[in-house]
Amino acid sequence: MAQPTLDAFQVIADPSRRQMLMLLSKDSLTINSLAENFDMSRPAVSKHIKILYSAGFIAIQDVGRERHCTLKQDGFNALHEWLNYFDQFWTSKLKNLENLLNNKIVN
Amino acid sequence: MAQSIKHQLFFPHPAESVWEYLTNPELMELWLMKSDFRPVVGHEFQFRTRPKPELNFDGIFYCRVLEVVSFKKLSYSWKCGPGDGSITIDSVVVWKLQPKDKGTELILDHGFAVMGNLLLFDGMNVGWLQNMNKIAERLNTEKHGTTNA
Repeated sequence: MAQPTLDAFQVIADPSRRQMLMLLSKDSLTINSLAENFDMSRPAVSKHIKILYSAGFIAIQDVGRERHCTLKQDGFNALHEWLNYFDQFWTSKLKNLENLLNNKIVN
Repeated sequence: MAQSIKHQLFFPHPAESVWEYLTNPELMELWLMKSDFRPVVGHEFQFRTRPKPELNFDGIFYCRVLEVVSFKKLSYSWKCGPGDGSITIDSVVVWKLQPKDKGTELILDHGFAVMGNLLLFDGMNVGWLQNMNKIAERLNTEKHGTTNA
Protein backbone atom coordinates (compact mmCIF):
# COMPACT_ATOMS: atom_id res chain seq x y z
CA MET A 1 0.00 0.00 0.00
CA ALA A 2 2.55 2.57 1.13
CA GLN A 3 3.86 3.74 -2.20
CA PRO A 4 5.78 7.01 -2.24
CA THR A 5 4.35 9.58 -4.62
CA LEU A 6 6.95 10.09 -7.29
CA ASP A 7 7.96 13.41 -8.74
CA ALA A 8 6.53 14.01 -12.22
CA PHE A 9 9.90 13.48 -13.89
CA GLN A 10 10.47 10.23 -11.98
CA VAL A 11 7.08 9.05 -13.13
CA ILE A 12 7.90 9.54 -16.81
CA ALA A 13 11.47 8.26 -16.38
CA ASP A 14 10.09 4.74 -16.69
CA PRO A 15 9.71 3.63 -20.34
CA SER A 16 6.63 1.48 -19.63
CA ARG A 17 4.84 4.35 -17.98
CA ARG A 18 5.79 6.65 -20.84
CA GLN A 19 4.36 4.12 -23.25
CA MET A 20 1.17 3.90 -21.23
CA LEU A 21 0.79 7.66 -21.48
CA MET A 22 1.46 7.49 -25.22
CA LEU A 23 -1.24 4.88 -25.66
CA LEU A 24 -3.66 6.90 -23.59
CA SER A 25 -2.90 10.03 -25.58
CA LYS A 26 -4.58 8.33 -28.53
CA ASP A 27 -7.58 6.92 -26.74
CA SER A 28 -8.91 6.14 -23.30
CA LEU A 29 -8.41 2.48 -22.47
CA THR A 30 -9.59 -0.01 -19.92
CA ILE A 31 -6.92 -1.37 -17.62
CA ASN A 32 -7.31 -4.74 -19.33
CA SER A 33 -6.79 -3.43 -22.84
CA LEU A 34 -3.89 -1.29 -21.64
CA ALA A 35 -2.29 -4.37 -20.07
CA GLU A 36 -2.52 -6.28 -23.36
CA ASN A 37 0.13 -3.95 -24.80
CA PHE A 38 2.70 -4.98 -22.21
CA ASP A 39 4.66 -8.11 -21.65
CA MET A 40 4.42 -7.93 -17.90
CA SER A 41 2.32 -9.38 -15.12
CA ARG A 42 -1.03 -7.87 -14.31
CA PRO A 43 0.15 -6.74 -10.83
CA ALA A 44 3.12 -5.01 -12.46
CA VAL A 45 0.76 -3.16 -14.81
CA SER A 46 -1.46 -2.21 -11.86
CA LYS A 47 1.53 -0.84 -9.99
CA HIS A 48 2.45 1.44 -12.90
CA ILE A 49 -1.14 2.55 -13.23
CA LYS A 50 -1.27 3.35 -9.53
CA ILE A 51 1.88 5.47 -9.87
CA LEU A 52 0.47 7.35 -12.88
CA TYR A 53 -2.75 7.88 -10.98
CA SER A 54 -1.15 9.18 -7.75
CA ALA A 55 1.03 11.60 -9.70
CA GLY A 56 -2.02 13.01 -11.49
CA PHE A 57 -1.18 11.77 -14.99
CA ILE A 58 -4.32 9.69 -15.37
CA ALA A 59 -7.86 9.45 -14.10
CA ILE A 60 -9.63 6.14 -13.54
CA GLN A 61 -13.35 5.77 -13.90
CA ASP A 62 -15.46 2.72 -13.36
CA VAL A 63 -17.83 2.01 -16.22
CA GLY A 64 -19.81 -1.08 -15.44
CA ARG A 65 -17.31 -3.76 -14.58
CA GLU A 66 -14.47 -2.08 -16.46
CA ARG A 67 -11.99 0.47 -15.21
CA HIS A 68 -11.26 3.15 -17.80
CA CYS A 69 -8.04 5.19 -17.79
CA THR A 70 -7.84 8.64 -19.33
CA LEU A 71 -5.08 11.22 -19.37
CA LYS A 72 -5.27 13.95 -16.78
CA GLN A 73 -3.64 17.36 -17.03
CA ASP A 74 -2.26 17.66 -13.47
CA GLY A 75 0.78 15.43 -13.95
CA PHE A 76 1.73 17.27 -17.11
CA ASN A 77 1.33 20.59 -15.36
CA ALA A 78 3.98 19.48 -12.86
CA LEU A 79 6.37 18.86 -15.76
CA HIS A 80 5.57 22.31 -17.11
CA GLU A 81 6.30 23.90 -13.73
CA TRP A 82 9.80 22.47 -13.79
CA LEU A 83 10.38 23.55 -17.39
CA ASN A 84 9.11 27.04 -16.60
CA TYR A 85 11.42 27.20 -13.61
CA PHE A 86 14.45 26.32 -15.75
CA ASP A 87 13.38 28.63 -18.54
CA GLN A 88 13.19 31.58 -16.14
CA PHE A 89 16.41 30.46 -14.49
CA TRP A 90 18.35 30.55 -17.76
CA THR A 91 16.70 33.74 -18.96
CA SER A 92 17.89 35.59 -15.87
CA LYS A 93 21.35 34.01 -15.83
CA LEU A 94 21.94 34.76 -19.50
CA LYS A 95 20.82 38.34 -18.90
CA ASN A 96 23.60 38.55 -16.30
CA LEU A 97 26.07 37.18 -18.80
CA GLU A 98 24.98 39.68 -21.44
CA ASN A 99 25.36 42.57 -19.03
CA LEU A 100 28.79 41.38 -17.99
CA LEU A 101 30.14 40.69 -21.44
CA ASN A 102 28.64 43.68 -23.14
CA ASN A 103 29.92 46.11 -20.56
CA LYS A 104 33.05 44.09 -20.32
CA ILE A 105 34.73 46.33 -17.79
CA VAL A 106 34.64 43.78 -15.06
CA ASN A 107 36.50 44.70 -11.94
CA MET B 1 5.62 20.24 -24.69
CA ALA B 2 9.26 21.06 -25.32
CA GLN B 3 11.91 18.43 -24.86
CA SER B 4 14.52 21.04 -24.18
CA ILE B 5 14.98 24.66 -23.26
CA LYS B 6 16.89 26.60 -25.87
CA HIS B 7 18.40 30.04 -25.79
CA GLN B 8 20.49 31.80 -28.38
CA LEU B 9 22.52 34.95 -27.83
CA PHE B 10 24.99 37.03 -29.77
CA PHE B 11 28.05 38.65 -28.26
CA PRO B 12 30.30 41.11 -30.09
CA HIS B 13 33.31 39.26 -28.72
CA PRO B 14 35.55 36.46 -29.93
CA ALA B 15 34.61 32.91 -28.95
CA GLU B 16 37.70 32.76 -26.73
CA SER B 17 36.32 35.51 -24.47
CA VAL B 18 32.86 33.98 -24.24
CA TRP B 19 34.42 30.58 -23.53
CA GLU B 20 36.27 32.08 -20.55
CA TYR B 21 32.95 33.05 -19.00
CA LEU B 22 31.62 29.53 -19.47
CA THR B 23 34.63 27.70 -18.07
CA ASN B 24 36.46 29.85 -15.55
CA PRO B 25 34.79 29.34 -12.13
CA GLU B 26 35.65 32.86 -11.00
CA LEU B 27 33.96 34.37 -14.04
CA MET B 28 31.09 31.84 -13.93
CA GLU B 29 30.28 32.93 -10.41
CA LEU B 30 29.73 36.49 -11.65
CA TRP B 31 26.73 35.55 -13.81
CA LEU B 32 25.82 31.92 -13.17
CA MET B 33 26.59 30.34 -9.82
CA LYS B 34 29.42 29.51 -7.49
CA SER B 35 30.91 26.14 -8.39
CA ASP B 36 33.94 23.89 -8.36
CA PHE B 37 33.80 23.48 -12.13
CA ARG B 38 36.83 22.47 -14.20
CA PRO B 39 36.73 22.00 -17.99
CA VAL B 40 37.84 18.38 -17.77
CA VAL B 41 35.71 15.50 -19.06
CA GLY B 42 34.48 13.37 -16.18
CA HIS B 43 34.97 16.10 -13.57
CA GLU B 44 32.10 16.20 -11.09
CA PHE B 45 31.00 19.50 -9.64
CA GLN B 46 28.07 21.26 -8.04
CA PHE B 47 26.19 24.47 -8.55
CA ARG B 48 24.21 25.96 -5.71
CA THR B 49 21.19 28.15 -6.01
CA ARG B 50 18.15 29.07 -3.93
CA PRO B 51 16.09 26.03 -2.91
CA LYS B 52 12.57 25.77 -4.34
CA PRO B 53 10.39 23.97 -1.79
CA GLU B 54 7.31 24.12 -4.04
CA LEU B 55 9.21 22.09 -6.63
CA ASN B 56 10.74 19.85 -4.00
CA PHE B 57 14.20 21.08 -4.94
CA ASP B 58 17.01 21.59 -2.40
CA GLY B 59 19.01 24.08 -4.48
CA ILE B 60 21.93 21.87 -5.49
CA PHE B 61 22.68 20.88 -9.08
CA TYR B 62 24.91 17.82 -9.38
CA CYS B 63 26.89 17.99 -12.59
CA ARG B 64 29.49 16.01 -14.48
CA VAL B 65 31.45 17.30 -17.45
CA LEU B 66 30.56 15.29 -20.56
CA GLU B 67 32.26 17.09 -23.42
CA VAL B 68 34.84 19.84 -23.83
CA VAL B 69 35.80 21.16 -27.25
CA SER B 70 37.73 24.34 -26.57
CA PHE B 71 35.98 27.53 -27.76
CA LYS B 72 33.28 25.47 -29.50
CA LYS B 73 31.32 23.15 -27.27
CA LEU B 74 30.82 22.31 -23.63
CA SER B 75 28.32 19.98 -22.03
CA TYR B 76 27.57 18.65 -18.57
CA SER B 77 24.95 16.50 -16.94
CA TRP B 78 22.60 18.42 -14.69
CA LYS B 79 20.78 16.56 -11.94
CA CYS B 80 18.86 17.63 -8.90
CA GLY B 81 16.44 16.41 -6.29
CA PRO B 82 14.73 17.11 -3.00
CA GLY B 83 17.88 16.58 -0.89
CA ASP B 84 17.24 13.07 0.38
CA GLY B 85 19.76 11.56 -2.00
CA SER B 86 17.22 10.87 -4.72
CA ILE B 87 17.36 12.50 -8.15
CA THR B 88 14.18 13.81 -9.70
CA ILE B 89 15.59 15.81 -12.61
CA ASP B 90 18.15 14.15 -14.84
CA SER B 91 19.07 16.45 -17.69
CA VAL B 92 21.95 17.69 -19.85
CA VAL B 93 23.18 21.22 -20.50
CA VAL B 94 24.96 21.86 -23.80
CA TRP B 95 26.71 25.11 -24.77
CA LYS B 96 27.75 25.76 -28.36
CA LEU B 97 29.78 28.67 -29.63
CA GLN B 98 29.88 29.72 -33.27
CA PRO B 99 31.81 32.63 -34.79
CA LYS B 100 29.44 35.02 -36.53
CA ASP B 101 29.58 38.63 -37.77
CA LYS B 102 32.69 39.67 -35.84
CA GLY B 103 31.35 38.09 -32.73
CA THR B 104 30.10 34.87 -31.27
CA GLU B 105 26.76 33.18 -31.25
CA LEU B 106 26.13 31.26 -28.04
CA ILE B 107 23.54 28.51 -27.99
CA LEU B 108 22.27 26.91 -24.81
CA ASP B 109 20.34 23.66 -24.99
CA HIS B 110 19.08 22.30 -21.68
CA GLY B 111 17.65 18.91 -22.62
CA PHE B 112 15.35 16.59 -20.76
CA ALA B 113 15.86 13.37 -22.67
CA VAL B 114 13.39 11.54 -20.47
CA MET B 115 10.63 13.46 -22.17
CA GLY B 116 11.71 11.93 -25.46
CA ASN B 117 8.63 10.59 -27.14
CA LEU B 118 6.32 12.53 -24.86
CA LEU B 119 7.11 15.32 -27.30
CA LEU B 120 4.06 14.09 -29.11
CA PHE B 121 2.04 15.63 -26.33
CA ASP B 122 2.44 18.97 -28.03
CA GLY B 123 -1.18 18.71 -28.99
CA MET B 124 -1.93 17.25 -25.64
CA ASN B 125 -4.59 19.67 -24.49
CA VAL B 126 -6.73 18.73 -27.43
CA GLY B 127 -5.95 15.06 -27.03
CA TRP B 128 -6.95 14.69 -23.46
CA LEU B 129 -10.11 16.72 -23.86
CA GLN B 130 -11.18 14.43 -26.67
CA ASN B 131 -10.56 11.47 -24.43
CA MET B 132 -12.57 13.03 -21.65
CA ASN B 133 -15.41 13.56 -24.09
CA LYS B 134 -15.19 9.99 -25.24
CA ILE B 135 -15.40 8.66 -21.74
CA ALA B 136 -18.27 10.99 -20.96
CA GLU B 137 -20.04 9.57 -24.00
CA ARG B 138 -19.44 6.06 -22.81
CA LEU B 139 -20.64 6.91 -19.34
CA ASN B 140 -23.78 8.43 -20.76
CA THR B 141 -24.34 5.47 -23.03
CA GLU B 142 -23.92 3.17 -20.10
CA LYS B 143 -26.40 5.05 -17.99
CA HIS B 144 -28.97 6.18 -20.51
CA GLY B 145 -28.83 3.68 -23.28
CA THR B 146 -27.66 5.02 -26.66
CA THR B 147 -29.40 8.40 -26.58
CA ASN B 148 -26.09 10.18 -26.91
CA ALA B 149 -24.70 8.16 -29.78
